[in-house]
Amino acid sequence: MPALVISNKSRPLNIPVFQSRIPKPEELVVLDKPLLEATIEVGNLLKDCQLKWAFAGDIGEILNGVNVQPDHLTILSNVVGCEEISKKLEGFQVEASRQVETQIKRNAEIEPKPLPITIKSYASQFNINGQRLNVHGDLRIKVGDWDWGDPLDYEPEYVYVVGVKVPVVPLELKTRLYMGLGWMDRVRKIHEAMARRHHKIG
Amino acid sequence: MIQESPVDVVCLGVGFMSGVVATELALAGNSVVGITKGPYWDYVNDYSTTKYDEWGVGLGRKYDSPLPLQSTTIRNDSSQFALPVRRYTMPIQYHALGHGVGGAAQHYGGGMGRFGPWAYEMASRTSSAYGSGFLAGINPQDDTHDWPLTYAEYEPYYVEWEKAHGICGNYNGSPTNSPSDINYPWMSRNYPLPPHPMTPLGQLFQSTVQGMTAPNGQKYNPFPTVSALSSQPYTNQYGVTVNPCVYEGYCAGLCDYACETGAKANAAYRTIPAAINSGNFTLVTNAYIFRLELSPSGNQVVAAHYYDAQGNDHRQPGKVFFNGMWGYNMIRLMLLSGLGTPYVYNSGTGTGSGTVGRGLTNGYTPYRGTNVSGTVNIGGNSYPAGNGSGGGVSVFDLMDDNFSHSNISPPFIGGGLFGAGGYLGGGPGNITFAGGVAAPNTANPNGAMGSAFKATQQNKYLPTKQSVGATPFAPDLPTFMNYIDLDPHYTDAYGDPVSRLTYDWTPNTYNGATYLVNQIKTILTQMGATNVTVSNAVAPYSAHNDWWGHHLRGGLRVGTDLNAGTAAAWAALSGYNQLYYNSNTSGFNYFAAGEITNTTGNNATAGTHAAGPQSYRAAEGIKKYLANLATGSIT
Repeated sequence: MPALVISNKSRPLNIPVFQSRIPKPEELVVLDKPLLEATIEVGNLLKDCQLKWAFAGDIGEILNGVNVQPDHLTILSNVVGCEEISKKLEGFQVEASRQVETQIKRNAEIEPKPLPITIKSYASQFNINGQRLNVHGDLRIKVGDWDWGDPLDYEPEYVYVVGVKVPVVPLELKTRLYMGLGWMDRVRKIHEAMARRHHKIG
Repeated sequence: MIQESPVDVVCLGVGFMSGVVATELALAGNSVVGITKGPYWDYVNDYSTTKYDEWGVGLGRKYDSPLPLQSTTIRNDSSQFALPVRRYTMPIQYHALGHGVGGAAQHYGGGMGRFGPWAYEMASRTSSAYGSGFLAGINPQDDTHDWPLTYAEYEPYYVEWEKAHGICGNYNGSPTNSPSDINYPWMSRNYPLPPHPMTPLGQLFQSTVQGMTAPNGQKYNPFPTVSALSSQPYTNQYGVTVNPCVYEGYCAGLCDYACETGAKANAAYRTIPAAINSGNFTLVTNAYIFRLELSPSGNQVVAAHYYDAQGNDHRQPGKVFFNGMWGYNMIRLMLLSGLGTPYVYNSGTGTGSGTVGRGLTNGYTPYRGTNVSGTVNIGGNSYPAGNGSGGGVSVFDLMDDNFSHSNISPPFIGGGLFGAGGYLGGGPGNITFAGGVAAPNTANPNGAMGSAFKATQQNKYLPTKQSVGATPFAPDLPTFMNYIDLDPHYTDAYGDPVSRLTYDWTPNTYNGATYLVNQIKTILTQMGATNVTVSNAVAPYSAHNDWWGHHLRGGLRVGTDLNAGTAAAWAALSGYNQLYYNSNTSGFNYFAAGEITNTTGNNATAGTHAAGPQSYRAAEGIKKYLANLATGSIT
């Protein structure tokens, strides 16, 4: 059959056209491949871990659908858990476990004057195929010159990463934490993720 | 005419298949354009409230391909005058075709199992087991062919497909789950997500069949019904994060309803986000593709032409073209463009020539098939909402050639994937416009509305008893007499011929039903069902197809025989090595939502996404082609 001649008819006006807005890349919740692969690797290596651990920080949030862009992996555990993780990830360790106290870059925004945030934990660092992994045990937070908070504790939630089941710090804990620090932009990001996830009416 | 910038790959249509191809090629660093005639559906803003508009969705079909733009015509045989489909209602067409990014998968039920090994070698294995004349004997004007690859060769592509779309399940009932099992779809890697919670009916079905002997002499091997609705928060291999199902009960209802959390797998929420994120992908929406432009020599596709929403003609050049449009739109575009050899049926000889349009089949239950039904006591607290495809249990033991087809009368081949226990509330069952509420008539002036309708709603929620039933059928086999061509009378909005479907149910569907219905009757009886009733058998050709079902398949097959199929193993059109397409073969092509319902149902093809792995195969072929192009080994 010969190819038909291309017509130049205009579109009939009675056919509905839905307005369409294509999302911008920054609106999409997509985890970069190197971190994705490192997450899978860690998830597999720690699958038999007996002690409580979970992905925390930005990686824990994006795995739960929050639109953030992590640049490294973070795990939250306790002191004994850190030791167990160190054994299971022995070949990847670049900094041995020790007590660390650090002032983080962002201040608390709960008073007119920004207050510095200090964290201390039993921490270690790993290099998972080029991706940094920070592990914190019994992490505590101090705002300004207030008292130290209790070690962060949680019941992990679980998500699946290409078939690997991994624990993550619950978004509910993160929300309370951010509200306490006055980081309302981060609260809003979590709220947006939950809104995308939930049944909308009824 | 508006000239667009040349790109490496042009994807025609942006549904499941193009989603894979576009993403794989964009992430590999190629420039890719995806063109779709509908919009980009944003599940948050487009579905969060509007999906509950039963009238607009169920009847107005506002999410679907607009019939005034393009329809098709249907007839049962080549002697008839084909009539156009003018509305989206039963029995003509209640499952609409897709429109926009994600295509029809925006509103399917989510059934997503694998094909079994037999399906890929149906012709050769049937001949080997039952004689070379068996298929011709049971299937008048038989035109059945094998796929170009075996299940084992497609298996790695299945794995990639399931990872990308977050498929839920727990293996497929294979007794050994190893490549030595040539009858069941064994898996080298389990589904990436666990199955949905099992319903009481699913549990009853599972415990019942575990104690029963299947026709093959072995115990039944039940497994959780495979679902493409994510059961847990998920991140796929492209880093795309996925929300889990919220079991809100508006999912399946005649496959009309979209998912407001994006849990229902489709390209818009699984693959295309990664393509967009790559920076190498351009999405063109509300664009109606109407031609592929050939090179002067006629052996290369050089550009795709589409109308934008204002009717302007755009010319999109590319190195490679992937035709991922809906089945007969894909075929129609090739026929309109003069690509390949159009299929021509010869009613005098009962054979045909050509390939494009050849081998049309159906993968769905004939409405007038043999039925078995009963009532099962399931106790209380059966969750009334749920989703379209989870919660049930299936068996592969009545599928394919997993039992001997010798000495069965009437003879047939194949079988069905049977299951039970899907969620009761997979859709707004109280608004079953087409299937459940009869219009007023002389015998019943009030129709099924009013008191009659209310009576049916009793015991609907938290029921203690559940009606179960099945209308089984065996695979619809390809014949020379069922095909697609261009209609000589009816056109689309722009004056181009629409596709014409010449199709009727084949005897194998009904003959298989006669056998299968009694197997299910035995299961229902063992489940403790009461009032188990089998309807009269339906004789072949005593009931006719009257719809343009979305489960229609075939028409542009891949295969080992290029005279019968149209493409070789890479899904590139014969003679056009840079045109790839959403391939299908032997009638077992294309994805289709599984027919696993809240009753014992079946799906003659068992697996429902053979085209899924084929899309990864096509992507691999395109990568090879572009690599060869870059090295100058081809022109």
